[in-house]
Formats: sequence, C-alpha cells, structure tokens
Amino acid sequence: MNRRNKDDHRSDDPSSSSSASNSSRSYLNRDKPSHKNPNRIIPDSTMATQGWRGRRPDAAESDVPLNRANSQRFRLQGQHDDDDEERGGCGSDPRFIVGTCPFMCPEKERLQRERLRDLAVFERLDGDPARTSSDLAVKKFCRTISMKDIEASDVRPLPVLDRTLNYLLDLFDSSDHPFVTVHDFIFDRTRSIRQDLSMQNIIGDQAISLYEKMVKFHVISHHKLRKCATKGPPTSPMHHLNMEQLIKSLASLYNLYDINRKLDCDCENEAEFRSLYIFLHLGSQGHNHIMGESLSFWLSRLPPSVIRSKEMLFARTILRLYHVGNFWRFFYCISKEATYLQFCMIETCINEVRAEALACINHGGYKLHPYPLKLLCEILKMKESDLEYFCGLCGLETSVDEMGNRVLSLKQTSFSHPKGGLNTYDYSGLEQLMREMKI
Amino acid sequence: MWPSWVHKTQREPHTRAIPVWFSDLYRSRSPTQTMAYVSMGEAHRRITDYLNRFSDAISAQNAAVLRRLLAVTSDSHLLLSLADSLNVVQDTSRLVKQNEKWSQYGEMLVPLLRALQCYRIGQLVDSYSAFEKFANAFIQEFRNWETAWALEALYVIAYEIRVLAERADRELALSKKTTEKLKGAGSFLMTFFGKRPKACWSFVYHLELFKIYFKLGTVHLCRSVIRSIETARIFDFEEFPSRDKVTYMYYTGRLEVFNENFPAADQKLSYALSHCNPDHEANLRMILKYLIPVKLSLGILPQGSMLDIYNLVEYRDIVRALRRGDLRLLRCALQENEDRFLRSGVYLVLEKLELQVYRRLIKKIHVIQKHKDPSKAHQIKLEVIVKAMNWLEIEMDIDEVECIVAMLIYKNLVKGYFAHKSKVLVLSKQDPFPKLNGKPVSS
Repeated sequence: MNRRNKDDHRSDDPSSSSSASNSSRSYLNRDKPSHKNPNRIIPDSTMATQGWRGRRPDAAESDVPLNRANSQRFRLQGQHDDDDEERGGCGSDPRFIVGTCPFMCPEKERLQRERLRDLAVFERLDGDPARTSSDLAVKKFCRTISMKDIEASDVRPLPVLDRTLNYLLDLFDSSDHPFVTVHDFIFDRTRSIRQDLSMQNIIGDQAISLYEKMVKFHVISHHKLRKCATKGPPTSPMHHLNMEQLIKSLASLYNLYDINRKLDCDCENEAEFRSLYIFLHLGSQGHNHIMGESLSFWLSRLPPSVIRSKEMLFARTILRLYHVGNFWRFFYCISKEATYLQFCMIETCINEVRAEALACINHGGYKLHPYPLKLLCEILKMKESDLEYFCGLCGLETSVDEMGNRVLSLKQTSFSHPKGGLNTYDYSGLEQLMREMKI
Repeated sequence: MWPSWVHKTQREPHTRAIPVWFSDLYRSRSPTQTMAYVSMGEAHRRITDYLNRFSDAISAQNAAVLRRLLAVTSDSHLLLSLADSLNVVQDTSRLVKQNEKWSQYGEMLVPLLRALQCYRIGQLVDSYSAFEKFANAFIQEFRNWETAWALEALYVIAYEIRVLAERADRELALSKKTTEKLKGAGSFLMTFFGKRPKACWSFVYHLELFKIYFKLGTVHLCRSVIRSIETARIFDFEEFPSRDKVTYMYYTGRLEVFNENFPAADQKLSYALSHCNPDHEANLRMILKYLIPVKLSLGILPQGSMLDIYNLVEYRDIVRALRRGDLRLLRCALQENEDRFLRSGVYLVLEKLELQVYRRLIKKIHVIQKHKDPSKAHQIKLEVIVKAMNWLEIEMDIDEVECIVAMLIYKNLVKGYFAHKSKVLVLSKQDPFPKLNGKPVSS
C-alpha cells in the first residue's frame, strides 16, 4: 500500500535550536475521559444528498464492513475540503467504515515504515532509526488516494484514538526535544486522528472531548511557536499551517456541538471554545471572513445560552474594546478574565494594540509633560525593559526625567508601526493566568 | 439623505409585507373558514369547474386566470371551497383521467390538487412535496410552450414554493424533525433557473433565492447568485420593474451590512428606500431597520418622529444616547434588544457607536463650561469626565479616561491635546469637534 507522504523529511531532526521554555504541567489532559458511550445516530435509511461528487462503490466491490447506520445528515463538516482530498475522488461514500485496528499505528504501516526507516524521533526504539514498537509508533497522516483501498484494520476505533491522543499529548511537555520537533510530530499525528474520526463519522461526547483536546493543542502551539520564532529558524510556514488546522478543527468541533445540541446534550466547555472563534477576528491579520462567513452572521446563529455565557461575553467585550480603541480597558479585562486558552488566541494582536496605544499617547500628549514609562508598563502589561525596546521598534525615543524615571517624550514625529510582528514580550501577570488553568 | 415623504404623518400600518404583484391575489383573503359541509354532488361540480378553468386558461394562454388557480396559500374563496370538495371526493386522480381535456395536464393537476387538499387540512409537509412535484411538471410544460405567456404564473409558483417550504419547516420543527424543506426549495429553484434562463423572469427567482438563503442562514450562497446576475448579459438592471430593483438592493445592502462595508450598504439601502413605494410601510420598515444602524455609524441621526412612524422602537434609546452622550443608556439599550440586534446582524455595528457617545459627552461638558466661564471653557479637567462617568454609574478611573481621550484625539473625533501632569484635556480653540463627514467612525 502506498503510504508515502510528501512530508517525509519531517521525521528527521530539524537543525538544533534551544528548547523553548515549557510549562511543566500537562494541562492538555485535564479532562477526564468520558465514561459515556459515544452517541451514534440511530439508523435512518434516507441518504440525504449533500451534493458530493463522485460515485459510490458498489457493495460487491468493497470488502470493508460498512456501517450503514450513520445517516449522512449528521456528518462531520468543516473538513469538506480536506475530506475531499483525503478521500480522493470517491467523495460521496455515505457508508462509513468501522475501524478495527487495536494499535496506535496499523501493523502494516508500522512494518513498512520500519523497513523504509521512516520513523520520527519519538517512534524510535532506543534511538534506532530502523526499529520501532507498537507502543511507540503512531499512525501518520496521509492523503488517501481512494476510499476503496482503506481496510478496517487500518482505521483505529474510538477507544484506541482516545488512548493515542492521550499518549501524544503527554509528549507535548517533553523537554528532550526542541518544541518545533514536538509540535511537528503531534501536529501530523493528530491530523491522522481527525482523519480516522471523520472516516468513521464518530460524533458524540467522546468525539467532542477529543476535538477539544486537539484544539487546545493547536491554540497553545500557536502561542509557543511565536516564542520559538525569535530564537530558532523562521517558523512562519509552520505557524500558518497550525492556524489552518486550528480553524479546521474548530469548525469540526462546532459542528459536533450543533449535532449534540439536537440530541439534547449539553457541552460544558462549549462557551469557551466558541469564544476562541471571536478572537480569530482580532487584529489586522484577523480573518474577516472565516469559511466565507462574517462574524455578525455567525453570532446571529448561536443559541442564546452560548451567547450570554461568561466566556462569550468576555470575548465580545474584548472585540468591542479592540474596535473602539480603548486599550486601557482591553488589557485590564484580559488580565481580569481571560483564560489561558483565550489569552493564547488574543496574543496575536496584543502587540498591535500596544503600538496603537503608543501612537495615541504620542500623538495627543502635551510635549512638555512626557509620559512615565512605569505607568505605561502597568497599562500595557509589559516589563520596563521590554517596553523601552518596543518603543525603539516603533521609532520612539525614551529618556530620563529629572527624578530619574524613564519617560516617553511625546509628539515625536518618528512613530511607525513595527514590522515583523512575530516578537513576543512577556505579558505581566501571565503566570497568574496559567495558574488559574484548571487541571 | 432621508426622502421628504418619510417624515409625513402617521398612517395606518399594514400588517405584513406583501409583494406588490400579488396584491390583487392575496388581498382577497377570506378569513380561514372551518371545513364546510359539501355534498358529493356539489363537490364534484366544484372540482370539474376548477379543472375546466385550469385547462381553458392554458388553451387561451390566460396567465391572469391561471395564476389565481395556483396560489395555494392565498386562501381565496375559490381555492378553499375547492379544497373542501377535494376532501369529500378523495380520489381525484381518477376524476382527472376521465376526461381527455383534463388528463392531458394530469402530471400537473394531480399533484396540484393534492397540494391544495393537504394545505387545507394543515398537512404542510405533504402539501409542499406535492406542490414541488406540480412545479416541476409545470416548468416542463412551460418550456414546451412557444411563448412565455405564463410568466406571471411562474412568479406565483416561485413565491408559493418558498412560503410552503417555510411553513412545512415550521411543522417539521414542531415535531422535532430536521427542517429541510426550505433548503430543498432553495436547491429546487437553483437547479431550475441554472439552466438557460429565459429573459427576465429568472431575476424573480434570484430574488426568491435571496429570501430563502437569508431565512436559512446560508447567506454566503448569495454570492453565487449575485455573480450570476452581474455577469449574465441578458440582465439590464435598469429595465426591471422598480419593485424588483428595490428587493435586489435591499438584499445586497443587507449583505454589505453583514460584511461591514458601510458606504456600500448606505448606497444600496438608500436606493431601496428612495425607490420603494411610500405606501408599503412594512417594506419601508424592513429597509430602515438596516439603514438606520448604517447611518448612525456614519454619524447621521434620524429624527425621533421617523422612529415612531415606522415603529422602530429598538433604536429610540440608542439615538437618545447618542444625542445625550449617555454611555449608560447606550449600553442598556444594546442589552435590552440584544437578541434582536444579534439576529439581524447589526449588534457589532451598534456597539461601536460608543465612540460617538464619548465625543458627545465631552462636547456637552465643553458647552456647559462655556456658559460658566467662556475663557477657560476649552480646558476640561479629566476629573470632570470621571465624575460624569461615575454619575452615569460607570466605573472609570482617571488613567482610563486619559487613554480614551488620547484615542479620541488620535481618531480625530476631538481636536486638542492632553497634559499628563495636570490631568487636563485642552481643546483646540477652532473646531474642537470636527464633523464626521459621512466616513465610518471607527477607522
């Protein structure tokens, strides 16, 4: 079976870079695995057409035990583009596979990759690039050519996927390897998990829990990759790809929430995960239309219980403060209410807001009353040394007043928005946010 | 800005927005009667009468008569009494096949009668499915006719498809099933007009599609509809009847609101407003519902009387807050009507009016100070603004006020500077509150 992936080179170590500081707890595993059975849709014999191209393979041709029970109406969406590519031309197969593979990696693939020495660092037994074991190998993501080639033994059922994800996320905090390596591995393997979930059209509580964990992975990676950017090789392609998959996973997760709502299940984390979507619209790089839809429109379709939740109100407040330009309260609210996940998403535009703040103060202030940096630090949540450096990037000079305090002189004409927005500065009080993350 | 007739005195409000070209059809609505007892003989008579009318209308190419026979939801006396008869006779398909004059249209008549019958007894889902079958058959026939004489009948069919689908979905929702009929109606119309559209009636289908997509929430699908209208060479916008142009501008204007392109939204919705028939108050209200937030964000306030005439109460407090510089009132008004604003997609637009409220507040303080002591009026202590906020029960400390002031100056809503050490806002002596000039405020 041809499982070659064009990203083969990823399994080698990238050039060495110092490991980023990792927070030591495995917050990604904070949810206990659900003990409820996954909810599958009761058989509905009508196959609603969804306008998929491609023809269905005849029952006689394929030897895969197909599950006719799942109605196509309740389908994991949001990965349509991916699905079409991943499934190849036969996009319209509404009969979903039931996976039987008991390992994190199907046996066939494991043996093949061993032979070809296509093993990631984490998969190598005793560091040997040609040996692995069923405890270490994890199924790789691969764009499938056609659904006909997929066998049930290649697809992992839900309990195995759950186990696999937990194993992967335990690696997230590993400090033995540079973060980009860790991220890359988990990025690829979780994508494969999502592929397996989608192929089997698994919906229900456990699926939601898996998706939530994967979204968390992408969000926190989003934050950590920014930090890596200043130290190692430029990682913006990786950053961009991560964002892409973040959005896709969010879309699938929201779809699951919608489906589960119809089944009258309440998802306790829904509010927080919905709020992340709002933050995607912040900043000049913020996507104005995600998946072809404006934010106003997306909001208009949310159920009232979600819209009025604490997390969503916070997100909407931040969006308003951003657009109105009230930077004082913007930082104040973040420090007061943001969860760590929310902070990671907002972080993208924080430097932009800081620059705007400097622009406002520089523009409107009285020349003879320079602005004390200490106060600015409190407002913008930065260390004084970072703030000075940042002012420099904005073309602004700082000086010392007669009392020995550092101040920002005003009405400088040299202001400009800093280019290269990948720098991160410590956010004062971030430790507080992280401490409050529920374990 | 606002057309002059908008401010005329109050008229009796219409109860619903009815498309113009159906006014004759749908005004003759009888109150819904309970099923009347009809004898078998009388029932037969009424049905054969209807079948004759139908066949004659087609042979005579009389669209005006024909369209009355198809307007299922019009609740006309004719159709209601026909439906009662259908429920008595039951086996109408046999009846249709009896006579060659009618059986030649059997493919259309049988589902049409079924649709009417089901509609009468409140089975909307079945009614819709039957009507869709009828529409399909009708369209096949339409293609075979030499001229497009039955255009008006097609208008009615498009309308009925949408309305029946909406009601069918309501029925489905009540029994907790998936509401798929409106979506089906959308696909039906889409596939239908997708093939070589004939002259200008397909424009009507575009409009019905808009309505469906908005109702369904699949607004992004409108883009393909717009593209096909704009690229099709057969369409010359100016040639269309005014009512269609208004509808088109209304929907595209709403799309611009969703996408926050306010100058474009202003242009389109204003067009719709000025070309809309002044008698159609319900339509005017719908246009104003979206135009007002757009105008507000451009700094243009409607007169209070307009809000009263068109019953747009939800905006009353917001306009008041803008005039008074009352931040608390703005926030309350937003919260009170939160659901409504969120659903119509204008909430995010209205939120940003906060900037104008700040500006107005400072302006008011300036005016008050001018009365007290004109020479020092242009200096506003930040403390005073803090006090004003506290009086409005809004917590704001002096650092935040300073930052807001800095931001207002930067965005050119206020001209002047602030002195940090003395905690004072010094307004420019000339034109301290520049006009917004029709540009959106938050840029």
